[in-house]
Amino acid sequence: MNKQRLLLPIVLLGCIAALLGGLSLFWFLTSNAWNFFQSFGISALWQTEWYPYEDLYGFLPAILGTLWALCIAMLVAIPCGLAAAIVSSELLPNTWQSIARLSMEILAGIPSVVYGLIGLWVLLPFLQEHLNLLTGHSLLAAGLILSLMILPTIMLMAQDALDSVSQEQREAALNLGLDWNQLLIRILLPQAWPGIRSGLLLALGRGLGETMAVMLVVGSLDRIPQPFYNILEPAQTLTSRIGREMGEAAFGSMHFAALITCGLVLAVFATIISLSAQRKGSIA
Amino acid sequence: MNTAKQNSRCSIPQTSTLNQTMVNVENLSLQMGDKHILQHVSFDLPAADITSLIGPSGAGKSSLLRCMNMLNTDWTGHIQVQHTDIRHWHGGADILRKHIGLIAQKPAVFPVSIADNVLFGLSRSQQKENTSALLQHCLQQSALWDEVKDRLDQPANTLSIGQQQRLCLARALALKPSVLLLDEPTASLDPRSKQLIELSLHELAQNIPILCVTHDLDQAQRLQGNILFMCDGKIIETADCDSLFNHPQKLETREFLRWSVCDCD
Ligand SMILES: Nc1ncnc2c1ncn2[C@@H]1O[C@H](COP(=O)(O)OP(=O)(O)O)[C@@H](O)[C@H]1O
Ligand SMILES: [Mg+2]
Repeated sequence: MNKQRLLLPIVLLGCIAALLGGLSLFWFLTSNAWNFFQSFGISALWQTEWYPYEDLYGFLPAILGTLWALCIAMLVAIPCGLAAAIVSSELLPNTWQSIARLSMEILAGIPSVVYGLIGLWVLLPFLQEHLNLLTGHSLLAAGLILSLMILPTIMLMAQDALDSVSQEQREAALNLGLDWNQLLIRILLPQAWPGIRSGLLLALGRGLGETMAVMLVVGSLDRIPQPFYNILEPAQTLTSRIGREMGEAAFGSMHFAALITCGLVLAVFATIISLSAQRKGSIA
Repeated sequence: MNTAKQNSRCSIPQTSTLNQTMVNVENLSLQMGDKHILQHVSFDLPAADITSLIGPSGAGKSSLLRCMNMLNTDWTGHIQVQHTDIRHWHGGADILRKHIGLIAQKPAVFPVSIADNVLFGLSRSQQKENTSALLQHCLQQSALWDEVKDRLDQPANTLSIGQQQRLCLARALALKPSVLLLDEPTASLDPRSKQLIELSLHELAQNIPILCVTHDLDQAQRLQGNILFMCDGKIIETADCDSLFNHPQKLETREFLRWSVCDCD
């Protein structure tokens, strides 16, 4: 009884602190964005010029860049991650399986700036040489680095999901004469799908918010690629813009508010991702 | 004239299959690590009858069944089904398992509808044909039809455990297996499901050989047919039901029947 009396205020206090933190963040984002939109209108979201010193704030290049980088990353990481998870959980003997697991966990724990440096030293020269680019800084480089960073998330979650399909289910399927392909497609992947899906969404969230590594390789050019699907050109993402320009923007200035608005756009994207996760989750 | 000749030709193998042994296990041994799990096991299953496999737990009964459908492949010896060595089965182990139905102790239904569960093992072209007759036939054979005929498209995990086990039986029967292996199919089931499964087995045994592992001696007696008594990976005694229960020949069998223990080293 006494312990309960002691614990309850602590729990409530923690809860209130979390709530206050969330609210103040929300207030910070929206009030700055409100200021910004009042001066420049909502149309800034789909304008293409970003020159802070001339008070031009068009968001479209960075939004497109973010989406492209994410698309490339997911296109590369999903097949590779799933394949790695299937090989590791279904085909490798136990020792190799734990080695694969451990290495993926290490990969997941490496700070993102290291990925950025790897991109800078290894990936960019490679792209520069083989694709005849000026420097190698490009959306493709950003997407590839991102894919490497979200690969562990996808693989580890998918592997857990596959491992959790029970031995009874597998043997029941084998007893019906299913071969390995059919076992994979008709039993393992469907039953592991909820776990795989959460892995994908988590990876999407991480890719969306990743700043440092992307900033180092994307080129930070505030221009829509010409043509818009040209992923070999340097470009800009929302995160790398915030990371690069926050230092030069005076607190309270319009530039500052515009950068916070970039953050709000990212937050909206992240919310959409989690909402889509929940709605599908409740059906399944 | 021509058709008569063909008929007479056809009839010869048919009559002979009735006397044939369907499954022939010879000198089967299985070792895992340095533990001998099965040692020189030999027995035959007649073309149509129930054979009960009894023995204390850990005797290797489940392992024996898993060898017989190649879930376990490390064994030595010979297993023949319809005079074909199962190691050299045409089309490999996957095709073999369509001929050998194995029902596990714990029912494992798939998270799809009842009807889809029954048809799960069929190939895609088989599933495209009209399957409702097959569905009904299999569910009737496993004594589940009356309980599920109005809810065939409901998820299978809404069934009780006893019903799920009968669903597993129907699922195996949909492949029209030539042998049926059951591993303690009624352990931990309700009495009614137990009774229904035993009835189905009696029906099925008129056409195909059935090997049923059971720890329940009363059940072995109810199933009639032949009894294999197994202990420590060895077949100790083989006899038909009445003589094994009334006049067991081996000391170990007598001990097991009386005290359910076995000491055979
Ligand atoms: N995968 C395995 N590895 C090592 N030993 C096993 C394995 N599976 C079963 N065994 C051993 O084989 C023996 C027989 O097991 P089992 O066939 O399940 O017996 P039963 O079904 O008659 O109770 C047991 O002693 C068990 O410990
Ligand atoms: Mg067993």
